[in-house]
Amino acid sequence: MSTATASVPPTTLRLRRRRAPLVRFGLRSQRWWFAAIAFIGFVAPYSTGATYLAAVPNAAARATFAQATQTIGTALAYLIPVPQRPDTVAGYMWWKGLTFLTLLFAAWGLAAAVSLVRADEERGVTEIWLATPVARVRALLSGTGAFIAAVLGAAAFTALGIGGGLEVAKVSASAGAVIGQCLPLVGIAMACFAIGLVVAQLASTRRGALGLGTVVLLALYTVDALARVNAGMVGVAVISPFHLADISTPLVPGGSLDGAATVSLFAIAVVLVALAVLGFARRDLYASLLRRRGRIVRITVTPSGNPFFREAILSRLWQQRIGLVGWTAGTAIGAALLVSIAHSTGGVLKGMGGISRLLTASGTAGDPSLYVVSSIWFGIAALVLAAYAIAQVTRWASDDVEGRLEMEIAQPVARWRVVLQRIVSLTLVSALIAAVGSLVTGAILPSQGLDIGTGPLVLSTALLVPLALSYGALGALIISRVPRIAMGLLSFIAVLGFYLPLFVPLFRWPDWVQDFSFFHLYGTPLVTGVFWTGLWIMLGIIVVGFGGATLAMSRREVGR
Amino acid sequence: MDVAIRTEGLTKDYGGGAGLFDLDLQVESGEVFGYLGPNGAGKTTTIRLLMDMIRPTRGRAEVFAIDCQAHPVQVKREVGYVPGEMPQWGALRGREVVAYVGGLRGGADAGAVSSLATRLDLDLGRRFREYSSGNKRKLGLVLAFMHRPRLLVLDEPTNGLDPLIQQEFFRMIEEVRERGATVFLSSHVLSEVERICQRVGILRRGHLVQVARLDELHHLRYHRLEVDFAGEVPLEAIRACPGIDHVASEDHHLVCDVHGSVAPLLEALGRGQVLNLVTHEPSLEEVFLAQFRDEPVGTGDAAEVKA
Repeated sequence: MSTATASVPPTTLRLRRRRAPLVRFGLRSQRWWFAAIAFIGFVAPYSTGATYLAAVPNAAARATFAQATQTIGTALAYLIPVPQRPDTVAGYMWWKGLTFLTLLFAAWGLAAAVSLVRADEERGVTEIWLATPVARVRALLSGTGAFIAAVLGAAAFTALGIGGGLEVAKVSASAGAVIGQCLPLVGIAMACFAIGLVVAQLASTRRGALGLGTVVLLALYTVDALARVNAGMVGVAVISPFHLADISTPLVPGGSLDGAATVSLFAIAVVLVALAVLGFARRDLYASLLRRRGRIVRITVTPSGNPFFREAILSRLWQQRIGLVGWTAGTAIGAALLVSIAHSTGGVLKGMGGISRLLTASGTAGDPSLYVVSSIWFGIAALVLAAYAIAQVTRWASDDVEGRLEMEIAQPVARWRVVLQRIVSLTLVSALIAAVGSLVTGAILPSQGLDIGTGPLVLSTALLVPLALSYGALGALIISRVPRIAMGLLSFIAVLGFYLPLFVPLFRWPDWVQDFSFFHLYGTPLVTGVFWTGLWIMLGIIVVGFGGATLAMSRREVGR
Repeated sequence: MDVAIRTEGLTKDYGGGAGLFDLDLQVESGEVFGYLGPNGAGKTTTIRLLMDMIRPTRGRAEVFAIDCQAHPVQVKREVGYVPGEMPQWGALRGREVVAYVGGLRGGADAGAVSSLATRLDLDLGRRFREYSSGNKRKLGLVLAFMHRPRLLVLDEPTNGLDPLIQQEFFRMIEEVRERGATVFLSSHVLSEVERICQRVGILRRGHLVQVARLDELHHLRYHRLEVDFAGEVPLEAIRACPGIDHVASEDHHLVCDVHGSVAPLLEALGRGQVLNLVTHEPSLEEVFLAQFRDEPVGTGDAAEVKA
């Protein structure tokens, strides 16, 4: 017998111990959010800095531009922070690029917390962790640690974007100011994450927690917004993390990092995380901290008589009725807010020599108010419709992953009908959202002194539907191959498409590159009519996308 | 008698030896057929091929002489299906799920649904996410049975059901059989198959290793003996007996399996001083495990199939 054989260790199958598995798992859960926020965090300030000088090349143009931005920003104060020193690259970058990022970091915080608590619980992941010798406190704090690491990474990308944007604009700024400007982003993300953790202890489902968390954040944002237009509210606004984040402006010339506000943000986060840990330690798994008394319920053994369930498309619409009301109401409110300031904003634009080229290009040189409605409001409406289509594609993907598609085609339903039902429901709802937005727009336009007639308004509304369908078609094609990445990939395409019209002139790319952006393909139909090239490309994508998806659906394998 | 299910050379090759290979199977109309095998044997793959969820690498499958891949919608008109894993309906209530799935079939029979839900003790007023795994399985049974299909394809239907509801399920299967419908159910629990099926097919590593009526399989049965001796165990004499298997001895205790007559063994046991003797008949589950645990599968097995 050889000695080599005799010396084989008896524990060759011993498992390799990996350090901090909970944190690793948490980081893995954050990877898509991290990728998206880091990308936008870099691009938003960078592109703002890079385009600033091109838009306002001299001091006179800069002064006019600053005056206009100040006026528009003040008019929009109940929506977004008031601009500070928009006559400087850094000031404009803070207002245009970073205040928007504050909202994104906040949304990420809420989504991450709900995912950590409720989504992991619904998937059974938490139960598995807790079945191992892992304390609840450790489970929650590990997820929190992973989130902090991801946020710091995204903030670092944002700092790079700010630095890069300033560098391109040939403006110097201290590293301290750049990093200091990123601190409130980390703070707001942490505070909203902590709010999400607490809210998730109170709700019993992921959707419930997300809904309740959204309401809480909207309320806190409203407090901040009210404080911007009403000085008497500033004392109350200190409870809002958004207010605490917005008042730090170290990047803006003359601005500073509000130490107390920034520390308060992190203090809120620490206190709320501690509360969430206490709540998590006390509550039952899968249940809310607020227990409802048991109530006597009548047993039901009959099927629902709801007529919506008798038809597949109506059933789809019924199942998303609450979301549908939200999308429609949100679009209506957005239209009301933006169109109601068209006249005042247009008046300011008219006085700006620097953007006359922009107005001429958009076909609204004669009436800048029309530019506000055509390019700003309908631009946002296009973004809303794109977001709705992505949400629908995500739903289709989850139908597949969660087994509902399997059950559907286990019934006598042809596979192509499933794709058709999706197309019809997406078309109907997109048309509804666009129509409600346009009805509100049409109702408010006369008060702004605008008379554009029904035709252009209907055209602009109708063309939003192929835009939504283009995203739907692309998504349908993606989910037929890789349903799990559909949302991330489609969102990336949308974000890229949103920035592409900015990048093309900036990097002097050929004009046709813009055709990769659905927002460019939509055009400005309110004033320039149908952009036929764009419409044909979108129709082509719809036919190829949904055609390919139908073919793939008939051939592919279904089942988890 | 009509044929409810027929497969010819049905193969789904996932690579690496995983999948289903050359399945030739025929299930008669009105039959309750049990499809057995350990986890990963290919039971769910077979069912998904029948339901046209996945496509065969080669071979074909028919349900009531309708090709499952060419005319899946026609096939599904005749079939009630319980998947191995229930889909996630989230916030929908049980009654809404029933109405939705019923709607896809052109309407749900409220009387049938009510009767099934009552028998299975299922409250359709609760949200799907509030259901326990057993209740989700009951909802699956309601969806499969509610339109009185000619063929029920059930993938491990009793998973998570409590014993009382399992008994009710067995009665439902009995009634379905009495009205002439066919049941094809997969399971890895032999006792439930033994209780309700007329024939069984045994699957192992993607190969059908045996198809037989339950009474035909009884020749596989054996007795297990446990004997305590006062002194030495006469091991050599015991091992020399015909039909003796799995002999294990420790101290003065002996365990062995006996196929066929026990007379030669009793004579061998007499060579020692027996203090205590216990015998019992293993369940079919133990029988099949003993039979198929270590046998290689491959082309040689195909000849043993009694389809």
